[in-house]
Amino acid sequence: MKYSKTDYSTLSPGKKLAVKYFVVAIILFGAQLLFGAIAGAQYLHPGLFYNTLDFNVVRMVHINAMVVWMLYGFIGSVYWLIEDEAQTELVGYTLGNLAFWILTLAVTVVVAVYLLVQIGPGNQLSLWLINEGREYIEAPRWADIGIVICMLIFFYNVSATFMKGRWTGIAGVLVLDLVALAGLYLAGMFYTPNISIDQYWWWVIHLWIEATWEVLVGCIMAWALMHLLGTPRRIVQTWLYIEVALMFGPGILGLGHHYFWIGTPEYWLTIGGFFSALEPIPLVAMVVHAVYDAGKHDFKNRNHPAMAWLIAHAFGNFFGAGVWGFMHTLPQINLYTHGTQWSASHGHLAFFGAYASINIAMWYIAVQKLRGDVPFDSRLPHAWRWKWALALLNIGVLGMTLALLVSGYEQSFIERAIEGSTWAGYFKAQTAKWFVQGMWWRQFFGYATIAGYLLLVWDLATIGKTVSQPASGADKLPAHQPAVSR
Amino acid sequence: MTEPVFAAHIMLATLSGAMIILFGAFYAFFFAWSRLKNSASHALLAYASYAVFAVFTLVLARALHLSGHWHILIGLILLGYWLAPYGVWRLCVSTHAHEKTQATTRTRQTRNYKFH
Repeated sequence: MKYSKTDYSTLSPGKKLAVKYFVVAIILFGAQLLFGAIAGAQYLHPGLFYNTLDFNVVRMVHINAMVVWMLYGFIGSVYWLIEDEAQTELVGYTLGNLAFWILTLAVTVVVAVYLLVQIGPGNQLSLWLINEGREYIEAPRWADIGIVICMLIFFYNVSATFMKGRWTGIAGVLVLDLVALAGLYLAGMFYTPNISIDQYWWWVIHLWIEATWEVLVGCIMAWALMHLLGTPRRIVQTWLYIEVALMFGPGILGLGHHYFWIGTPEYWLTIGGFFSALEPIPLVAMVVHAVYDAGKHDFKNRNHPAMAWLIAHAFGNFFGAGVWGFMHTLPQINLYTHGTQWSASHGHLAFFGAYASINIAMWYIAVQKLRGDVPFDSRLPHAWRWKWALALLNIGVLGMTLALLVSGYEQSFIERAIEGSTWAGYFKAQTAKWFVQGMWWRQFFGYATIAGYLLLVWDLATIGKTVSQPASGADKLPAHQPAVSR
Repeated sequence: MTEPVFAAHIMLATLSGAMIILFGAFYAFFFAWSRLKNSASHALLAYASYAVFAVFTLVLARALHLSGHWHILIGLILLGYWLAPYGVWRLCVSTHAHEKTQATTRTRQTRNYKFH
């Protein structure tokens, strides 16, 4: 066997930048799992790390690490595909590199401050330097400004590269989406002492995940399908436009399900309920297209791990966002489930299925290039690693989801329905037998997820290293997107 | 007025919510498969799935006390899930028609090449 060399220096500027973002994303993914495991253990042993690493801080780092690593993954994915898509070299590599280091430094400092300054009064100084306090986007104001600057640089790099090179349908959707991505973040920087009004601005995170991120993932998926399966551009772009139309229909007004219980007028119950109920229709419609494609085409490709993760993405998105979302989205039932472990159950599967899996698929696409474009197919040695990583991560997350669902049901029933959301009811639910058992199982499956992550990292570091280059291009299946017109 | 689900019906309500999406997907799957293979048995499975889907939609409506203007939602769910596979199938055929034309042209070109 001939050893293929991992040669970072021969990569194009955009791809070099992408690899940097991917590496930080992988590290932050690990941090998310580590802090998740600690938070889970604190549910089982409430005294664990008390006054050293408090639960609220651990949970905050767990969720923030997830939001940030996905952002790193998306930015990396866009940098990875942009030169192929625009058919020109990345514009503004130096600026992009600078933004990467500023963002990474800011993330490191913010997390360090979270861990070092855990308790204290909230005032203008803490707002600017320590913690902004808005759930999921807690970064202090200075870091917020830094994030917006980095996103604007990213936006400039992407739009300028497309302006210089080829302007495609994917390019148009992507550029407009990045405007929304940066713009929405600005809306999350307002401050108000009124918690109801503050929760109103929480739609930043909703519109990020159910609007701008979905579109971004749609662009990445469109490119990945062209790259892996040779799907014609005309088809993926048509479906991308359809997805954007469907998403902007129920997706935006569906944010009303966050407005049910924060003191907004009652009509939000109707708006949120109606549009949330219609949100899964595109997912069901997706099933038809998948069956059509599976029947009309074979799925031959040269990167089995990436393809497997794209399939995991489709299923995870359907179950996590569709089934788990609709289960408790209407206000008549959401009254009992909102903010319980039920929400956590939905959140775990939806985020992993919709976003984590497609990022992992992009890592495999990138690592194949780094290993000299060798085939990652049935001839791949040590294929058990990626298969077991895939299995452990998916079983782990699904197991956590089911365990949290059991705990969430118990919590909704005891704390909300029977005890009427009282303080005593909260503690009664937290000590209920099924709730506690669910939390133990969640911890067990959390460790399975960590095992899957470690295997994934090992696999990414070694996959294809011992594969010889294909003797000719004869065994090359449709891999790269055809250079067809927009 | 929005009336919450009875405590005894929480499980029923969430289960029917999950079943709506699952059987909606089964209906879409069997619908597409029946069109693809021109199979009447799969079409029957599709309509059976839709029937189960419709039953769970009605169960959900009852469990969640969906009355008044909420009836519109039930109508939209029943209609939307019924029509979506038809619409998406038409879109699939239309978007892939171009691909078919290209394939036919390629075959013709190959044949012409052989004859020359």
